[in-house]
This record gives sequence, structure tokens and C-alpha cells, in this order.
Amino acid sequence: MMERPLSRQALIVLPIMGATLILAAWQFLVPLAGIPAYIVPTPTTIAGVFANQWPLLISNLWPTLFESIAGFVIGNSVAVLLAIIFAYSRVMQAAYFPVILFFNTIPILALAPIIILIFGLGMLPKIIIAAVICFFPTLVNMIRGLNSATRNEQELLRILSATPWEIFWQLRFPRSLPMLFSSLRIASTTCVIGAIVGEWIGSDKGLGALIIQATFNYRAGQLYAAIVLSSSMAILLFAIVAYIEKKVIDYT
Amino acid sequence: MSIAIECKNLDIGFRNAESDVTIIAGLDLAIETGEFLTILGPSGCGKSTLLRVIADLLGPLKGTISVLGSDPHLARQSRQIGFVFQDATLLPWRNVRDNIELPTRVGGNARKPLPENRTDALISMLGLEGLGERFPHQLSGGQRQRVAIARALIEEPQLLLMDEPFGALDEITRDRLNNELLAIWRRTGTTILFVTHSIMEAVYLGQRVMVMATNPGRVLGIVDLGEIKTADNACSREDPRIISAMAEMRVALEAAS
Repeated sequence: MMERPLSRQALIVLPIMGATLILAAWQFLVPLAGIPAYIVPTPTTIAGVFANQWPLLISNLWPTLFESIAGFVIGNSVAVLLAIIFAYSRVMQAAYFPVILFFNTIPILALAPIIILIFGLGMLPKIIIAAVICFFPTLVNMIRGLNSATRNEQELLRILSATPWEIFWQLRFPRSLPMLFSSLRIASTTCVIGAIVGEWIGSDKGLGALIIQATFNYRAGQLYAAIVLSSSMAILLFAIVAYIEKKVIDYT
Repeated sequence: MSIAIECKNLDIGFRNAESDVTIIAGLDLAIETGEFLTILGPSGCGKSTLLRVIADLLGPLKGTISVLGSDPHLARQSRQIGFVFQDATLLPWRNVRDNIELPTRVGGNARKPLPENRTDALISMLGLEGLGERFPHQLSGGQRQRVAIARALIEEPQLLLMDEPFGALDEITRDRLNNELLAIWRRTGTTILFVTHSIMEAVYLGQRVMVMATNPGRVLGIVDLGEIKTADNACSREDPRIISAMAEMRVALEAAS
């Protein structure tokens, strides 16, 4: 039997209902099961933390947000520039891509202490970790995107005696944009992970530092509030990137 | 009549690191200015490769070729060649108008200025009125190919090379575009080389049909249809002489395969 597609209203109401049910179950089942609040707080407790400790939360949000955005911009910019160099120089790509591939196989959790060791405890190492985590997917996608023009498209521009500059701006760069944006969307959430991982290892401010402090002091409400805040931040960055993508790639 | 394209003892194919792969050897061909020549043959006979050599996308292996009285390289740089691919090859991020105007936007110093109203004239000549702001994915296959033809014509080239442009279209759309292409040819006087693997299309469009075979790629013969068509290259698809010309070509192609 074929199922009918759901109506627009249902598609809005159903997820809200689903989330509400889970929150309600969490609120009432966790105390019933005898789990203490300092291990798993209820949703109302977490909401209370937001109400009572808002200045503390927000003062820890700013550094993480700044590090995430700075890492996003730097990591992706370097990746795009390097992809352009690689797309135009097979020698450079053959020489350096394997090295980059090797560095990419090092887990970010192993790389982070090294970066902290080199760059100290300020914001810079967190920005670098966030940048590193954004870098590789964008590099790979951008190289593929720049090379994705079809043979006919290249022949068309050759018949028109297009200059290399024109081939880049009229064909290769616009061709790469859909693939660039698909990695920027991923990077918009992973850059937050990078910043938080950096703060875990060595920082006294930021959501990552707050998460660590709250964990060791059994302030579960604060821990959960910091988690909600960091994932809201990632969703916001994702939404901004998706919005820009829609404006730039307006032809589909 | 002057000669638009002349090939003498021409070998075409691909250059590999180790050796050359010849697809057609020893081709002799002369195409008059203003002629409509169709090139008919199965896949792999080298008909598209020949178009690419004429368009200076591929160098000849041996022999001489002259296009519009000069080297193909110079002919391309003087922007006298329009090319239409089998898939329309429209840039998806440009709307219809911007795709048609692409040749006037690239080519460094070689590009020509766009005369006023030229794009509008082409849009109406190709029946694209009201579609100028649409993007390629919003068009039908036939409309996309019309845009590709308009783009090829925007700089009023002396030579139009068409590589199976209607091969992916349904027969009804193809027949209609065949008629429109003939009308454009009569109006502009452009020399047209039209590659196809449809016998009907080759006979209906061409003043002459160059019939080719594969393994090895070679010219079986050039059939002059001047006697069974009117002076402006018109005919009826049901004309018994047209049907018998098609039958002869089919027999020749089968015998060669």
C-alpha cells in the first residue's frame, strides 16, 4: 500500500510533538528511576540554569563563538587557496597532497595538545584547532569542484579563446561553488567542535572550559546548559551558511 | 564560389605519449562557402573528431587543413567559428540571456562588442521569447538546444559546426528544429557542417551528405542532393527521390560495417 505524503502542518507539528514527548519523559522518568539530579538533571533544572546563570553562560559563549568563526574563516580560506594552487599545479599537488593526507589521519584529539604546546593557552591555539578541523574536507571538495567542469564546457571556452583568468572566473570557480558549500556546511558545525576541544585541554574561559569545570564539580545543570548552548551555536552557524548558499547558488 | 574549408591528405586522431592513434587517414575534402554539408556515420567513425580539428580543438596528425582561408588556429582566434555540442553545454548559473551573451564576455581582447538588440533578435529568431530570465534547468531539451544555437550565432560567425545537436531530442522536436535550422541557414548564409547519425536528418538538411564508415574511419562517398532539392535546399521528407537516396545510404552503411 502506498502511504500518502504528510501535509505541511503535520510536518511542522509532528517533530515538535516528538521532542515534547521526549522532554516530558525525561522530566518525569529520570527522577522515577532514582537517578540523582547531579548526574542527570531534568529539563526544568536546565532551564533554571539558563534563567539564573545567563551572564555566566553568555560570557563563556563569546570566546567560543569568536574562536569558531575565526577558525572557520581561516581554515576554509587556506583550504580554498591551496585547492586553487593544486588545481593549477599537478606538481604541487603530487608533492604536498600526500603530506596533508597524512596529517589529516592524525586524530584532532591527538593534535590538539601539540598545538596548545606550541601556541600557549590563549585564543590562538583554539582558533588553529578549529581551522584545522575545517581545512581538509574543504580542500578535497574544492579540488574536486574546480576540476568538475565537463569536457564540452572546457572546449566551449577554448573555442571562444578564453584566457586562463576567464576560464577560472567564468567556469571553474562557479562550477566549484556547490561542492564548496557542501563542505562549508559541515565545517560550520565542526569548527565549534574544534574550539571546544581546544578549550578542554587548556583554557579557563569558553564553553569547553565551562563543560570541564561543571563536570568535575558535579554541576550537571550547568554542564547541560553549556551543551545546549554550544549546539545552538553550531545550528546558528549552519543556518547562516545555508542561507548564504541559497543566495549565492540561486539558479537551481 | 570560394572555399570555406579545405583538407588535403589529412590524417586525424589523437597523439599519445608512445604513438599516434589515427582515426581517419588521407582525407581530402573541400567545402564551399555558404554550403550546408551533413556528415553521416556510425559512432567511432571520426566525424566528431573531424569537427574538433576544424574548430582547432585538436591538431591534425598529418596533411594540411585550411579554415576560412587560413590556419584553423587563426580562424578560431578571429572568432569566425560557432560550435554547437550534443548536450547544450549551457552554464547552469547563467540565465538564457547571459548564456547567449557568453561569447561576448570571454576571449580577452579578441571578443567583439555586442551590438544593441542582438540578443533580443536571436531570442525571437529562435522562438525563446519570454524565456530570457530563465535558468537552463527550467528549460526543455529543445529549448536548451535553441539557446546553444543562439549562443553560437551571436557573433555572426562565418562557419557553424554542429556535433549531433539534436541527437538527444524526441523526433517531433527534432523535425521542427531541422526546419528552423534551415530557415536560419537561408537567412544568414553561414557555412554549416552538421554531424549526425540519423540518415533522415542528414538527407533532409544537407545539400551534400558525406557518408562515413568506421574501423577504419573513412569516407564512403559524398552524395550531392542538389538535383532532388530546390535551389534553397528544400525538400519533402516524403519525396520518393529523398526516400530512395536514404535507402542507398543505408545499404552503403550496412555494406561497410
